[in-house]
Amino acid sequence: MAGALIVVDRVSKRYTTRSGVVEALRDVSLGVSEGEFCTIIGPSGCGKSTLLAMIGGLATPDDGHISVDGAAVDGPDPTRVATVFQDPGLFPWRTALENVEFGLELQGTPRAERRRIASDLLGPLGLRPFAAKYPRELSGGMRQRVAIARALALDTKIVLMDEPFGALDEQTRVLMGEWLLEIWRRTRKTVIFVTHSLQEAVSLSTRVAVMTARPGRVKLVLDLPMDYPRAIESPEIVALRAKLWGEIREESLRAIAEST
Amino acid sequence: MRVRALQVVSIVALVAAWEAAARLGWVDAAFVPAPSAVVHALGTIGDRALGGLGDTLAKTAIAYAIAVVLGVSLGIVVGSVRVLRDVLNPFVIAAYGIPKILILPWIILLTGFGTTPAILYGTLHATFPIMLLVIGGVRDVDRTLITVARAYGASTWQLYWKVILPAVVPSMLAGMRLGIVFCLLGVLVVEMFAGVRGMGAVMGALANGFKAPELFAATALVSAASIAIVLSLDWLNDRLSHWRDQ
Amino acid sequence: MTVAAIRLALVLALVLAWEGAARFSNPLLSAPPSVVLPALVRVLTLDSYPELPRHLLVTAREIAIAYAMAVLAGLAIGFALGLYRTLGRAYGPILAALYAVPAVVWYPSLMLFFGLDSSSKIAFGFLLGFFPITLAVLAGIRQVSPQLVTVARAFGATPLTTFVKVMVPAMMFTLVGGLRTGLALTVIGVIVGEILGSRQGIGSLINHAYGLLRTADYVALVLVTLVLIVASDALASLVEHRAQRWSE
Ligand SMILES: Nc1ncnc2c1ncn2[C@@H]1O[C@H](COP(=O)(O)OP(=O)(O)O)[C@@H](O)[C@H]1O
Ligand SMILES: [Mg+2]
Repeated sequence: MAGALIVVDRVSKRYTTRSGVVEALRDVSLGVSEGEFCTIIGPSGCGKSTLLAMIGGLATPDDGHISVDGAAVDGPDPTRVATVFQDPGLFPWRTALENVEFGLELQGTPRAERRRIASDLLGPLGLRPFAAKYPRELSGGMRQRVAIARALALDTKIVLMDEPFGALDEQTRVLMGEWLLEIWRRTRKTVIFVTHSLQEAVSLSTRVAVMTARPGRVKLVLDLPMDYPRAIESPEIVALRAKLWGEIREESLRAIAEST
Repeated sequence: MRVRALQVVSIVALVAAWEAAARLGWVDAAFVPAPSAVVHALGTIGDRALGGLGDTLAKTAIAYAIAVVLGVSLGIVVGSVRVLRDVLNPFVIAAYGIPKILILPWIILLTGFGTTPAILYGTLHATFPIMLLVIGGVRDVDRTLITVARAYGASTWQLYWKVILPAVVPSMLAGMRLGIVFCLLGVLVVEMFAGVRGMGAVMGALANGFKAPELFAATALVSAASIAIVLSLDWLNDRLSHWRDQ
Repeated sequence: MTVAAIRLALVLALVLAWEGAARFSNPLLSAPPSVVLPALVRVLTLDSYPELPRHLLVTAREIAIAYAMAVLAGLAIGFALGLYRTLGRAYGPILAALYAVPAVVWYPSLMLFFGLDSSSKIAFGFLLGFFPITLAVLAGIRQVSPQLVTVARAFGATPLTTFVKVMVPAMMFTLVGGLRTGLALTVIGVIVGEILGSRQGIGSLINHAYGLLRTADYVALVLVTLVLIVASDALASLVEHRAQRWSE
């Protein structure tokens, strides 16, 4: 783990709210090596988004520490880490193309160059015809693809994705997953991917980390050495899926019991 | 089509009935002059009224420019600093809602008759609605957009310039639309109360002189100017907010 | 808690600043709180203006009549334009255009027609209150979900029942908000009218004090008026909250 690209070392996080202190994460450790597609799966409210926010520098741990590429994280660093959120968070007053340019624009990339980079990204993502459309004119799947393109435009080593397909319908999710897999295999970026979907976890990841109900801890980490594309009905995948479901079911039941 | 016809027919009928009523003496033409008399009066007071209108609009333009700058900048500051917003919002609402006519005598006392009180009072009327709507707009900026901007490395300056300001444009324009009517109102009130120049003073003099046709003509002129200004702001609004729904 | 404390501190600071500034300037132009306070006491004990209650009654009566007329006309015209679509599409835009005209342009004509007495103030207060009420009815009707109306019809409601049991409750929130704004504007209209020229009413007293440069009295009368305005609005907001309960 010491040689990993992303190191999360015994991290805890508490939130103070009006109704008391919420312990979101307790003593979480995780290492992610370069080129990995690491999926984090766990019941709602177990701290997955919090963990991602801390890796992305949007929140700071109360205990423990996090380093990326050998350097401690202290604030967002869009030259190394790009984030995709569940709510695509597109700027409604910018066209699809302008949204993709956003990160480069903040970094002061000259207009012509960032336009070229953004346009080149739109093609393979099937967004070329929609470059000049505003977010309200796009479907949910297209919006999420624009948000992913916005992250890819930064050309960072690391991409964090927080339930990027959570709001999409089942069919669109499957297609978006296939599409993401293809991009990842082409670019070999390091991806941390949060999802609720077992299907996505088993068909996309090189590793899966299962988290416990709140306070979130890493319950187990599974390696998935199988080749892509994976046949979801193969005995190996079916067994893996069943195992994951067993682990998550237990945690989700606990999460539900605690919230009532 | 039917709607247009209904509009035209009812306006024509109204004007005709009014003309008839005035000619036949059903209403006292000294108080409710016939439309034809009003049109005629438009010719006779034309120069004086246009001069007054120009004077009024110039004062309104200055007051409005000050109010927009003040309202937008204060609105963004107060809206984006949590403590300021919590503490000051009720004061801004009160300043917006309270009849400012109550302090008009004092303003006149301090600044005398003339252009200054008109500009001051117009500014006072227009600043608070703009500020109030901008505060609301800043408060309601989608939190996700701010998180995204932070994750992508936005500096504070970039956050305001590239995220908050564009997100606030619709509320700002709504405030400006409200503000222009209030601004014109403020200037006219000062001119009526203590004016020596401007459309408000002209109208006040016409009312005191019982010059009904001229007064109606002047009223029509200001109304038309005001509607034209608001319509052009609406047009600007559509142009600048094309990214919004509907 | 702390927010309230900061607000209180702010108000106190403003009063102190007023005191400081007013002491060192022309006493004809500005009255510090220390001078206003005794003047206020004299006003409230009917010492300086024995006729104050009568003037307040005149103003209250003007407001009541103007508001009653504005509510009746606003509801009638609002529902007529909102329920009959052709009428609404034809006259709605005309109404909106008129609303874009600062109401005070009508005031000289009203003065000419009705004279200096109460009627011109009532007419002006009516004019100001009428628009927000009408527009609130129109907005409220637009907000009623067609789904609710369909459900009512599917359950066999007559048009009248649909109106009473579905439309009115569904638009209550907006309607009551409009009625409150209408009251606030009627009050403003009457007071503006009185200050621009009148012989009776609180506005005439304010004008009188100002005309004689009795600045402390002027400020005291303004404070009395403000308290009455705020009280009437607070009452309206109480009614508003009761009527809007369900929508929470
Ligand atoms: N800003 C915050 N303030 C207070 N509590 C928070 C905040 N963000 C998250 N939490 C709480 O921390 C816990 C973990 O949240 P989160 O990381 O969003 O979980 P997940 O993404 O796994 O659903 C939840 O109980 C949530 O209510
Ligand atoms: Mg989450």
